[in-house]
Amino acid sequence: MKKVSLEARHISLSYGSHEVLRDIDLRVEPGEFFALLGPSGSGKSTLLRLIAGFNRHQRGELLVDGQDITGVPPHARNIGMVFQSYALWPHLNVWDNVAFGLVERRETRDAVRRKVAAALELVGLADYAKRRPGQLSGGQQQRVALARTVVVEPRLLLLDEPLSNLDKNLRVQMRDELKRLQRTLGLTTVFVTHDQEEAMTTADRMAVLDHGVLQQVGSATGLFDEPVNRFVAGFVGTANLLEGRVEAVEEDGSVRFDAQGVGPVRLPAAALAGPPPAPGPAAMAFRPHQVLLQAPAEPTDPARVWLDGTVESAEFLGEFSRYRLRVGRAALVADQPHYAGHPVLAPGAFVRLGIAPAQVRFLSA
Amino acid sequence: MSTAAAGVRVRTRGAAAAPAGWGAWSVAGAVLAFLVVFLLVPVGLVVYTAFVDGAGAFTLGHFGNFFGQSLFTEAFVNSLVVALASVAVASLIAVPLAYLTVRFEFRGALLIQTLGVLPLVMPPFVGAVALQLIFGRNGSVNLLLDEWFGFKVPIMDGLVGVVFVESIHYFPFILLNLVAAMRNIDGAMEESAQNLGARGLRLFRRIIFPLAMPGFLAGAALVFVKVFDDLGTPLVMGVTNMLAPQAYLRITSVGIDDPMGYVISVLMIGFSILALWLAARMTAGRDYATLQKGGGSLQRRRLGRGQAVLAYGWIALVLAVVLAPHLAILLMSFARVWSFSVLPDAYTLDHYAAVFADAQHMIGNTLLYCLLAAGLDVLIGTAIAWLILRTTLPARRWLDSLASIALAIPGLVLAIGYLRLFRGVDLPFTDTPVITSWVLIMLAYAVRRLPYALRACMAALQQVHVSLEEAAQSLGATRWRTARRVMVPLMAGGILAGFVTSFVTAAVELSATILLTSAESQAPMSYGIYLYMQSAAGRGPGAALGVLAVVVVALGTWASHRFAERSRTPERATA
Amino acid sequence: MPIRSAATRAPRIRTLAAASLLGAIGALAQAGTVTVITSFSKDLTDPYKKAFEAANAGIRLEVLNKNTTAAIAYIKELPAGQRPDVMWASAPDAFEVLARDKLLTAAPEVKNPHTPAKIGNYPINDPNGLYYGQALAGYGMMWNTRYLQANKLPAPKEWSDLARPEYFGHVAISSPSRSGTTHLTVETLLQGEGWDKGWTQLLEIMGNCAAVTDRSFGVPDGVNSGQFGIGLVIDFFGLAGKYSGFPVEFAYPSVTAVVPANIGLVTGAKNADEAKKFIAFTLSREGQQILLEPRISRLPVLPYADLKVPAGYPDIQAVARRAKVQFDSQLSESRYQVVVSLFDQMVTFRLKELQAATKAIHDAEKKLKARPSAQGSDLVKQARGFAYSPLVGADTAKNEQFLELFRKNRRDVAVSKQLTGQEELWAGKAKANYAKATELANQAAALAK
Repeated sequence: MKKVSLEARHISLSYGSHEVLRDIDLRVEPGEFFALLGPSGSGKSTLLRLIAGFNRHQRGELLVDGQDITGVPPHARNIGMVFQSYALWPHLNVWDNVAFGLVERRETRDAVRRKVAAALELVGLADYAKRRPGQLSGGQQQRVALARTVVVEPRLLLLDEPLSNLDKNLRVQMRDELKRLQRTLGLTTVFVTHDQEEAMTTADRMAVLDHGVLQQVGSATGLFDEPVNRFVAGFVGTANLLEGRVEAVEEDGSVRFDAQGVGPVRLPAAALAGPPPAPGPAAMAFRPHQVLLQAPAEPTDPARVWLDGTVESAEFLGEFSRYRLRVGRAALVADQPHYAGHPVLAPGAFVRLGIAPAQVRFLSA
Repeated sequence: MSTAAAGVRVRTRGAAAAPAGWGAWSVAGAVLAFLVVFLLVPVGLVVYTAFVDGAGAFTLGHFGNFFGQSLFTEAFVNSLVVALASVAVASLIAVPLAYLTVRFEFRGALLIQTLGVLPLVMPPFVGAVALQLIFGRNGSVNLLLDEWFGFKVPIMDGLVGVVFVESIHYFPFILLNLVAAMRNIDGAMEESAQNLGARGLRLFRRIIFPLAMPGFLAGAALVFVKVFDDLGTPLVMGVTNMLAPQAYLRITSVGIDDPMGYVISVLMIGFSILALWLAARMTAGRDYATLQKGGGSLQRRRLGRGQAVLAYGWIALVLAVVLAPHLAILLMSFARVWSFSVLPDAYTLDHYAAVFADAQHMIGNTLLYCLLAAGLDVLIGTAIAWLILRTTLPARRWLDSLASIALAIPGLVLAIGYLRLFRGVDLPFTDTPVITSWVLIMLAYAVRRLPYALRACMAALQQVHVSLEEAAQSLGATRWRTARRVMVPLMAGGILAGFVTSFVTAAVELSATILLTSAESQAPMSYGIYLYMQSAAGRGPGAALGVLAVVVVALGTWASHRFAERSRTPERATA
Repeated sequence: MPIRSAATRAPRIRTLAAASLLGAIGALAQAGTVTVITSFSKDLTDPYKKAFEAANAGIRLEVLNKNTTAAIAYIKELPAGQRPDVMWASAPDAFEVLARDKLLTAAPEVKNPHTPAKIGNYPINDPNGLYYGQALAGYGMMWNTRYLQANKLPAPKEWSDLARPEYFGHVAISSPSRSGTTHLTVETLLQGEGWDKGWTQLLEIMGNCAAVTDRSFGVPDGVNSGQFGIGLVIDFFGLAGKYSGFPVEFAYPSVTAVVPANIGLVTGAKNADEAKKFIAFTLSREGQQILLEPRISRLPVLPYADLKVPAGYPDIQAVARRAKVQFDSQLSESRYQVVVSLFDQMVTFRLKELQAATKAIHDAEKKLKARPSAQGSDLVKQARGFAYSPLVGADTAKNEQFLELFRKNRRDVAVSKQLTGQEELWAGKAKANYAKATELANQAAALAK
């Protein structure tokens, strides 16, 4: 199968006066496993269905393999889609479900038999050919849906929240299988999810959407480490956002930041990553797991920036404890890895927070 | 028979999808054309004729003449009274039964279910004839009463007789709707009321019945409309001072040009629409289907001793009365002579022999007209369901309303409309006048049964998740092939149920049939029964034919329930 | 393989079938079919159909069952060339109406030479040769023997018997507007006793009625099943019931007329040639013999000498000779609308009030018999006068202008208004009269204490 690219250029879609997708521009490389990530209502499913042909955009172009397929009806696009509910036909058995697309393409009986057998083999359901969908488990149904879609050799594979109906363990298992399948087939794949963990572990690259607007496109680490705005910072991973103003950038490159409700914070230049931020309102963003909590008496590492605060509440989560802290008038979160024998800090305890400047990002958006 | 409320919120996914293609438009066009030519125009013509004089100018003179004649005003009042009284009596029968079913742990529940179906398999005009022999002035019951107690109950005389016959035929509409509504009430409603101190009859009156009111109203409205519009029953019972018989008499004796017939038609349509609209208004916005996931229905109690006796007694009485017409028609079909006696003198199989010898063509006609009509109905019903639920055609909901208007049109009025509209028109490619061919009968059946088939098809299609069709499309199936390979097979159970319901109700239709049947060779079974009942020696074969009709209807109803049940089993999309 | 649901295939097959059927239907209704429009029941038409088709292979008989007025309306509304071929009904005035509108065509070749020219003084065939007598009928009373026995009533002999108090609530009749035969019965009574006396007697009998049925068959049906005790019927209704095994008897009163039931060829019929064959068949010996079957029990026009007559069968010739009335169908037809309308307004729609008045009168007379009172008797006489006088006098009934009004087209709003106004007048007056009669009778009864 030839690997094809998918490109959306200035795509906008509205239902009446309600804008669902605004000026979406993105490109999926041939053979890529691409994720569309966003909360519900972000428009990610709409975009996926638009690619499949079930929604129609009012502006913009949709190019598959360099050709605009706007206006081409779904059945002529040769784009495979696996639905969130799997949409297996209850009146057909597994074999017939998988064979459906081949029958539509008027393939010969032999070809059909060969291909369906191969597809079922690929997903590991060769023995289930005569079963009905109602007799299969969730994971098995998804595999049938996959087999059905890939057996017709589509140019593109679309997956709509493929793992959200599965329980946790199965989800992990299916994640790996999906990844493996995609590698084997080399199909350009776009899948939609609201779960950032899912997106980060499976996708080569991902795009984050919020309220129909593309927030950021990039690799998982790219989005995690270099979020472009508060939304991405908070959506991909958890983030502490200290609102305030960048007062000035000194000659030596250090940043003076006036955090609201906390006070001035000075971050030494040497440790900062990337170009210095412009003066003005910004949020100082850093991840909870990068914060070091110490008792006030303990000696502090000069490389870090230290703030004083109190523990408001603590949640024990096994691998780590999550503390909600009050620093000045700001509320911050710190995750501390847990070791047996080290007690969880009690609410009301005074602590010191050590922030590594290299991990701080200033977000103006 | 289904709950009249169809408050489904339709959200077609992909509202910004490809605008409806020529396929959708042509289907909509064909459906619209059918509805316009065979429903709107004839009815419109009837309404129009009532308001024009001989010169074609608008006039209210005919209405003036109508209300000026005490005969007609009497007929009008009688029809209203009879319809309302039938609703009242039917409620009297149905409400206690519904209460018993839902409220109590009750082994007679199956009995009540049967009661809910039995009356509907016998068309009222067939039952009316037979009931004369049991409840008439000198029928079995009165002869016995006179012998034992010295008095008689004139329950079959005149308007009272009509009310009696109609009530025991139509009460299941109220029963079924009420039971369904009561079953949907969340138990928590009742429990919180009890928590606040209400119980027993007060609880029923203040909480349960008001919550079940929409169901009750839906059933009551249906009963009102059907009784108000019924021609066959009063005609067969010899009651002429009601609206429907008067219209029929005027049209047949004075001629198709008599304005009175049209005035009456307009009144009948008006009131039917009014009743249905009122019911819809009163149930709209009161979606009392409060049963939540994880909640239970109303509590069920055990019957006390005395209560049990009363309950079973009432059920037995109702059962006896409901079974009476079936029993009577059965006896009549086997009776040699039954006159002024409690039971027939002697029995014979001759009547059945006569029917199978002479009336085979009637059975064939019924099959022909009703199969065609039902087929047409599910075809159009599926098309409309598809248009409404799967396309984005503007104003497509109007098709549903248009098709459903047929419920409010009495068969008599539709027939008058056809006779007037197609007067002078010949069947294409022949020189046979349309009004003398059976095509009109079949079309009248199809049009009048369409609302039922439409409801069934809509319900069936609603159960097919749209993703099942989108999956087919993404695999390369065009819209047409998707419909053929996925949509229709998954709707099959519901479609079949709708088909059978259409068939079965068409098989016993008489109002339109009487006016549209010209020749005896065209007669379907219902008309055949009517014809047979016109002669002394024909009563036996008429009853035999009636029994056959009941058997057909019963089988069909049973089959329809089975299909509908099967389509509801979890062979649906794994959502 | 996916399931090919019947529901997908079936509609297509059916549409195909329907289309081919449509074509076939058109073809079928052509040559080889004789269409007969008749008010006669299946009991009569079925044997004729069977016998005729057996004797004439290739000809099909199509029966349109409509009551007489509907039949006339039906014929009038169809264009020439589309009309049914044969009209076959009891009421001679229906044929008069058709003849006048030139809707009947002469076909003298169908006549059977053995048929006598007259029955009593009445010509069997139309003097103008447009229609032919096919059967004979008289009018009389039928009663249910069990019913009479249970209610200890004697069998009636004359019409006037039915006015007697003991028959109150036991009699049934159909409405002349709905039943051609009932209209003939009423006309017979009127012609026999004269307009005023006839109406009086009629109304007295109607006061004893339990019901005025919508169809003429409703009366014999009710008597057969024991719902009513006595019915005013055409003879074959009573005879057919009797010979079908019902416990009923029939008798001709002396005030009866024997009138032919007629058959005629419709002008502009589709299939005139073969229609003539059918008409001839019904008049032939074979066709006449069918009339004598027990389920039919009609009287033939052919003399009994030519036929096999069952034992005990009424001798219609004798009845005709006895019959006091020479039926004048011209007269009947000319005042048809008036009679029918008057009957409906005075009787059919006012039955309750008439019954109440009659009951009151009977009660009063019973009481007065026990305790005579001159004043009381006088009051009762007045009551009778109110209750049983026709609202239209004999002279008005002969007035041509008056009669003409009733023949006009009702579609005209003005005419319709006039007519309904007249009918409304009668209805009101009748109601008032009956109320007055009841009042007077009650007063009389009070006096007899």
